[in-house]
Amino acid sequence: MVTAATSAMAERLKEDGNSCFKKERFGAAIDAYTEAIALSPKVPAYWTNRALCHMKRKDWTRVEEDCRKAIQLVHNSFKAHYMLGLALLQREQYTAGVKELQRALDLGRGADPTGYMVEEIWEELAKAKYMEWELVSAKRSWELNSLKETCEAALNQQRALDMSQTEEYSDEGYSSHTERLKALDLVFEKAAEEDKPTEVPDYLCCNITLEIFRDPVVSPSGVTYERAAILEHLNKVGKFDPLTREKIDPSKLVPNLAIKEAVAAYLEKHAWAYKMGC
Amino acid sequence: MTSSGAPSRKALSKIASNRLQKELVEWQMNPPTGFKLNLTDNLQRWVIEVIGAPGTLYANDTYQLQVDFPEHYPMESPQVIFLPPAPLHPHIYSNGHICLDILYDSWSPAMTVSSICISILSMLSSSTEKQGPIDNDRYVKNCKNGRSPKQTRWWFHDDKV
Repeated sequence: MVTAATSAMAERLKEDGNSCFKKERFGAAIDAYTEAIALSPKVPAYWTNRALCHMKRKDWTRVEEDCRKAIQLVHNSFKAHYMLGLALLQREQYTAGVKELQRALDLGRGADPTGYMVEEIWEELAKAKYMEWELVSAKRSWELNSLKETCEAALNQQRALDMSQTEEYSDEGYSSHTERLKALDLVFEKAAEEDKPTEVPDYLCCNITLEIFRDPVVSPSGVTYERAAILEHLNKVGKFDPLTREKIDPSKLVPNLAIKEAVAAYLEKHAWAYKMGC
Repeated sequence: MTSSGAPSRKALSKIASNRLQKELVEWQMNPPTGFKLNLTDNLQRWVIEVIGAPGTLYANDTYQLQVDFPEHYPMESPQVIFLPPAPLHPHIYSNGHICLDILYDSWSPAMTVSSICISILSMLSSSTEKQGPIDNDRYVKNCKNGRSPKQTRWWFHDDKV
């Protein structure tokens, strides 16, 4: 039974932990959170705060343990999913790590600006996704190449066989052979296209950041912007729509779920677009 | 001439440098007609050659624009000036400063270097006389020590030219 008195004491221990954390005394902070947890084990923040200390010390196993505990208590803590994702990536569990980061990103979207971490989460996610794509696409391209070589060899063999069966040299035979080789080239070129980085279509990019959307919101004039960028604009430049110059009240921005889904579908097919800053 | 003086130079923020990288790639794929970017390894200062549009007073003239980006571009406008000799134009001072609202009060982060260039070229093209601003001497005298045009309190009196 957690009484009011013990939970008040746990709260004080958490405050102690927080002030140790600020002074970068992570060991002492961990001790304080551990005591708080012993008194009142059902408060997710104690677990996520302790996980953050473990993260500072790069103790990824403990980060994972604490985050999993926090998620058991409250499934929608974006901090817990974020740190768990990072811990899993550190331990080279890519698929599981990416899944956690994606969950964190979904939870972090539209959150209040003080705890808004979309860009940080996105960066980690993008790094992991891009690395995954590099591995997969290198393998794919190697497989395609070896298959192409095999096909070419087979065509050349066929041609040699044909030539040995006919006495005379025929132009026709020669040209149909080169045609086939050319057609083969085309087929493989097409197959490699998907892994060739090109440009992300403009309609999936913000007019301010020029990057693919992470958390798209639509303005009253119907223009879609990256949430963080349009909020910064409204704060620093002025309360108007950057494109149409119509007045905007910041509370009138709403998430653009359709574009969000379009971005997800695009990235699913073109994972190279996760590459940052180019 | 002091117009090429550097504005306060704080390194570009990460957002700014990401955005400029994108603009650079876009420029290289689709350069605006009448402009040529002289690439240096300095992402924070672009020097752009402007060629007067055919059929206008400035046909075949070439000028140079210098664009300097602040730390928080695109939330702040870039500083855009003509390097000497600046074109003779009712809204362009002999020190290279340009009286154009989008560079100052009417800046919006949805504008790009490319869209600024097009606005400047259209301002040149619509001019009916090759003549400096009436208050040129007074203004230039007040701008000693390489003051940035972004520090001027501009009056945008007409949008005809």
